[in-house]
Amino acid sequence: MPAMSEQERRPESDGRDFANAAWSVPSYILSGIILYGGGGWLLSRWTGVAVFTPIGVIVGVVLAIYLVYRKYGR
Amino acid sequence: MKALTVLAADEFKAPGLELFDLPPIIPGVTWFTKPVLLALLSSLVVIAFCWSAFANPKLVPRGIQNIGEVGYTFVRDQVARPFLGKDADRWMGLLLSLFFLVWIWNLMGVIPFLQFPVASHIAFPIVLAVSIYVLKIYLGMKHQGGLGYFKNMMFPPGLPKPIYVLLAPIEFLSNMIVAPFTHAVRLFANMFAGHIILAFFSAVGFWFLFEQLTPLGAPVGVVGVIMTIAMTGFEMFIQFLQAFLFALLAAMYIGGSLHAEH
Repeated sequence: MPAMSEQERRPESDGRDFANAAWSVPSYILSGIILYGGGGWLLSRWTGVAVFTPIGVIVGVVLAIYLVYRKYGR
Repeated sequence: MKALTVLAADEFKAPGLELFDLPPIIPGVTWFTKPVLLALLSSLVVIAFCWSAFANPKLVPRGIQNIGEVGYTFVRDQVARPFLGKDADRWMGLLLSLFFLVWIWNLMGVIPFLQFPVASHIAFPIVLAVSIYVLKIYLGMKHQGGLGYFKNMMFPPGLPKPIYVLLAPIEFLSNMIVAPFTHAVRLFANMFAGHIILAFFSAVGFWFLFEQLTPLGAPVGVVGVIMTIAMTGFEMFIQFLQAFLFALLAAMYIGGSLHAEH
């Protein structure tokens, strides 16, 4: 993790970011699963290759966690 | 339990969805059912409570003003300030009413004879969640501009450009559909499940101790009664927690609309 610049961040906004991140995580992960898992499921239906569905779900979760990390984690 | 009940003349039947299917209180007036009555009653309780606590405040609080101020301080410090910062005081009216209303709704589930958590009918939490949702979008467009609101929401700064293609849809779905949906469903599902659990254990106790008292069944009935008492205590904790969470998420959505993140 890169060093946090203490001067730039007020403690109040730090706490708010943390609370926002904590409460946004479930919603983001669910959205990632629905979007990319759903996309994978559609691909599976069209191509007949079943493995696209679980790949889509995993991609969705990874992207959602990455999003939360980039938005709040640094 | 199955083996025990088979011995009995009549089988034990666990309570199910019929718990939530209540007839109209006045025949013919189909919309006026028990949850509607309890919701109206809850509103009256909250209005009466806030009136008596805050209408004529004393410098040194006494009686009901004391309780009101404890509740106010709790909502302000735990719900409003962490998410709204300096805007917290302006939103306390909404958040305090929301917290108390949902808490009283939930408490209806354990008050003897009333015993029905209002939010276990999903229409009630949906109305509150939709109200907050509309408010969230209105405030977002007012403070960040119609396009700016969606731009700030879907394209948070600080991400590598190509990644936006993948992440913007997640942001949109999360903020516009999943968040308000889970806001309502979280409260509904907790109250729905809690009511079924309480009904199940009290039905076990009642059945095995009163309706079909047998030497083998009696201990099961005792377990049912003990579990009813324990789960009622636990349920009261969940009721408070869910009211707190509902108000907390409302504060978070409002805070997110007032200021773009970063």
